[in-house]
Amino acid sequence: MDKIIITNNKLVHQGYYEKVETLFLGDFTYLQVLELVRDKIHKGHKLLTHPLSGSVKPNETPFKSIIISKKQNVMSFADLSIIEESIASAKRFMGNQVTPAWSEKILNDFRIIDLSLIENGICNMYF
Amino acid sequence: MGKVRIVHYINQFFAGIGGEEKADYKPEVREGVVGPGMEFNKKFGDDAEIVATIICGDSYFNENLDEAKAEVIEMVKKYNPDLFIAGPAFNAGRYGVACGAIAEAVEEELKIPVLSGMYIENPGADMFKSSVYIVSTKNSAAGMRHAVKTMAPLALKLAKGEAIGAPDAEGYIPRGIRKNYFAEKRGAQRAVEMLIKKLKGETYITEYPMPDFDRVEPNPAVKDITKAKIALVTSGGVVPKGNPDHIEASSASKYGKYSIAGVDDLTEETYETAHGGYDPIYCNQDSDRVLPVDVLRDLEKEGKIGKLHDFFYTTTGNGTGVKISKSFAETFSKELVADGVDAVVLTST
Amino acid sequence: MHLELGNIFINDVQFGSQTKVENKTLYVNKEELITLISEDEHLKSVDVELAKPGESIRITPVKDVIEPRVKVAGSGGIFPGVLTKVDTVGAGRTHVLKGAAVVTTGKVVGFQEGIIDMTGTGAEYTPFSKLNNVVLICQPVDDIKPHDHERALRMAGLKAAEYFGKAGKDIEPDEVLSFETLPLLKSIEKYPKLPKVAYVQMLQSQGLLHDTYVYGVDAKQTLPTLIKPTELMDGAIISGNCVSACDKNTTYHHLNNPIVQDLFKQHGKEINFVGVIITNENVFLADKQRSSNWTADLAEYLGVEGVVVSQEGFGNPDTDLIMNCKKIEEKGIKTVIVTDEYAGRNGASQSLADADPKADAVVTGGNANEVIKLPPMEKIIGDLSIVNTIAGGFDGSVQKDGSLVVELQTITGATNELGFNKLTAKGF
Repeated sequence: MDKIIITNNKLVHQGYYEKVETLFLGDFTYLQVLELVRDKIHKGHKLLTHPLSGSVKPNETPFKSIIISKKQNVMSFADLSIIEESIASAKRFMGNQVTPAWSEKILNDFRIIDLSLIENGICNMYF
Repeated sequence: MGKVRIVHYINQFFAGIGGEEKADYKPEVREGVVGPGMEFNKKFGDDAEIVATIICGDSYFNENLDEAKAEVIEMVKKYNPDLFIAGPAFNAGRYGVACGAIAEAVEEELKIPVLSGMYIENPGADMFKSSVYIVSTKNSAAGMRHAVKTMAPLALKLAKGEAIGAPDAEGYIPRGIRKNYFAEKRGAQRAVEMLIKKLKGETYITEYPMPDFDRVEPNPAVKDITKAKIALVTSGGVVPKGNPDHIEASSASKYGKYSIAGVDDLTEETYETAHGGYDPIYCNQDSDRVLPVDVLRDLEKEGKIGKLHDFFYTTTGNGTGVKISKSFAETFSKELVADGVDAVVLTST
Repeated sequence: MHLELGNIFINDVQFGSQTKVENKTLYVNKEELITLISEDEHLKSVDVELAKPGESIRITPVKDVIEPRVKVAGSGGIFPGVLTKVDTVGAGRTHVLKGAAVVTTGKVVGFQEGIIDMTGTGAEYTPFSKLNNVVLICQPVDDIKPHDHERALRMAGLKAAEYFGKAGKDIEPDEVLSFETLPLLKSIEKYPKLPKVAYVQMLQSQGLLHDTYVYGVDAKQTLPTLIKPTELMDGAIISGNCVSACDKNTTYHHLNNPIVQDLFKQHGKEINFVGVIITNENVFLADKQRSSNWTADLAEYLGVEGVVVSQEGFGNPDTDLIMNCKKIEEKGIKTVIVTDEYAGRNGASQSLADADPKADAVVTGGNANEVIKLPPMEKIIGDLSIVNTIAGGFDGSVQKDGSLVVELQTITGATNELGFNKLTAKGF
C-alpha cells in the first residue's frame, strides 16, 4: 500500500508494522514527530491524516501517529501549510505548559486513543 | 491618589530644536512641559501634570538604541512618575519606533504604565502595539488636538490602574489580545443575527477577524535566466563579521546593504548571522547556508545566470513587523531596479 | 413534519420511594435507578448523587449530560437506533423534564476532564450549574477496555434519561412549543420572499472518546446528509465524546441545539429555515475533502442563500470548519461560522489552527486557555485528584484550601461551539 505510518506510539507500531510500512520513533516527542513529517512533506510526501488528530491537546498527549504517502511528488503547499500550522499550534500549547510526566497507566491510555484515531479507516484507504 | 505625575518623551522636532539636521540630538531632560505637553496639561486640568519632558533626536535614539534607552530611563527614574507618555508620533517612522521602544523599555524597567500615540501605518505601531497602548492618531501633527483628546483620558485611566475598555471605546490600536467577556445574547442568537445582516448586505462585525493575509501574485518567469542579473536578499540576518551596522537580533529596525564584489565564498572568518531566532551555529560556520553566494558564483561561472549583483541586502526577520519589513523592501527594491537587477533570490530561515 | 415539545418545568430534585414528577419536583427512586443501570455487565458498582443549583458541589470528571425526554405521540422513541428501534423521530409530541439532567461521571482514561461547579465562579461558565442534576457514579469491572468503559457510561446516561423521561409522560406540560419543517418545495412556496437558510452541524467523529452517533451509526462512517431539525430534539444525535470538555457537545447540547432553536425563532420572519446538514470531522484528509465537498454540494442543491456552520472540539476540526466555510462561500452562499479559541493564557496567540479570508463572519465562544480560579466546594462528586491530570489543569492545580486554578477548557460546556453560552472574546 502506498503509505507510511510515522509514529512514536508502540501500540500503533505493534498493530500495523506487518501490514503497513511503519517508521517507529520510540524516543521522539510529539513535536519531533510533527517536525519529521514536515521534513517528509518538504521532500514531496503527501499528508494523509491531519497532524492535530484528536481533541487531546498537544501538551497533554506525548503520542502522535501520522500517515503520509510513500510516493514522493511535487511538494504540496496545502499540506505544508497544515503541518506548519499544526507545529505552531503545538508549540503554543507547550508554551502554556509542558506535557506532564504521566504514569505508565495514563501513558497507555494515550497510546490507545492515538491508536484509535489512526485505525479508523486505515484499512479502507484506497489511495 | 493625588495629582498624577507624568514624564513626557518627545523628539527634537516637537521640542522646536530642529528637523532632520538635528536628529542626532542627545537625550536632554527639562523640568515641566515642552511643546505638545502644554496641550496635555490643559486637558489634564487638576488630575495630572507633566513634571518633566525628555527630548531626544530620532537618529540618535535609533542608532544608539541601548545607550539611548538606558539614558532616558535614568532621566525618567529621577522624577518618580506615575505614568510615561511618548509622542504622539503621528506618521513619523523613526519617531514612532523610538516612542514604542522607549515606552516598552520604561514599562519593563520601571514598572509604570506607559502610553504612546501613532498613525496606524507608522512602523512603530505594528512593532509595539502588542506591548504598549498606542492611541490611533491622524497622520500628521495637524491632528495633535484630536490625539491629545483621546490620549489624556486613557492616560489617567492607566495611571490610576483602572480597567481599560475595548480598543474602539478607548481609541487605542488593537493589541491582538483576546479577552473573554459575557455578551448580552448567546452565541447562537448572535450567529443567526449576523447571518441575517450578511444576507441583507448590512454591516456586521465579526467576533474574530481572521489574521491578515497578504498574498503576493508571483511575477512572470524571467525570460532568459542566463542573461539575468540576480541579487541576493535575506531575512536570515547574514552580515559581515562583527555586524558593523548593529542589526538587531530581533524586531529589526533596519536592514544592511553590503558588497560581495569579488567574494566567492562566505567563511566563518568573514560572515556571521545577527539573527536571534534560530540556532546560529551552522550559519556562523558557513553563511552560504543562508545566503548562497558560493552556489550563485558557480552558476555565474557556468553561465547559468548572467551575473550576481555586487550587493546583498539583509535583515533579521525574527519578530520584525510586517509594515517595517515592507518599508525596507520598498526602499531597496527601488535601488535594485535602478541597478538593473532582473531577479532576486530571497532566502529566509 | 410537526413536533410539539411539552416542557415540564423542574425546580427541584429529591430522592423518594417512587420515581415521579410532582409539583415541579423530580423524585428519584435511587434503588430502582441503580438496579436499572447495574444491568450492564461492564459496571461493577453504581451510585447516585443529586446536585442542585447553588449547592457547594463540584462534579468531576463529567462524561456526558443528558436531558430526560419521552415520546408521547408520533413514531419512534427517544434516542432512536440506540435505546429504541431506528424508526424516524421528530414528529408528534415529546415531553421534556426542563430543568433536570442526568450527569454521568467516571474515569474512562487517566486524563479525563470536565468540571461542573454548582456555585461560584465556575458555575457562571457551565450551563449545567443551572440544572437539577442526577449524577451517576459508575465504577467499571476490573481491567475493562476503554472502548467498553466509554460505551457502558454512555448507555448508562441515556438509559437514566429515558427512565426519568417516562416519569413525565402523563404530566401536563407547563408550556408547549411547536416546530414544523415542511418539505423543501412547500417551504419555499410558503415563504417565497424570505432567504432560504440551512444549518450545517459538524459532528466530532475521530475515534475512541471522540465519537458521535446518528440513529446509532458512528458518524465517522457516514457521508454528509440531511436531517430534520426536530429529529435532533428527539435524540437522533448522541454524544460519545469525552475529550475537550469546554467545546464538546454533550447529548444535552444536541437535544437543545441553540442554533436550531434560534433559526426557528426567525423562521417565517427574517428567514426560511429549510433544514439541517450534518457532516463529520474525520482524521483522514481525504475524508475531510470528501465531506466538505459534499456539504457544500448539499447546500447548493437545497438552494439556500445562507448557512450557519458550527464546530465541535479542538485542533483539526478547525480545518474542517474552514474547508466547509470556504467551499460553501465559493458556491455563492453566505456563511456564519461558530467556533471557540485557543489564544494562549495571555490571549496573545493566534486563536485557530486554520484560517481563511472567506471566514469573514465568525462567532466565538471565547478563549479556552483563559485561567480562572475556582473556589473550594464542600462536596466533591467524582474524583478531584483528576484535575491535576486534565487538559488545562496542571501540577499544583488543586490548592491547599481545595480551590482550583485551571484553564477554562476544563469546564464542561464553557466555550461551546454551538453558541449555547453568552461567553465570547474580543480583541483588546
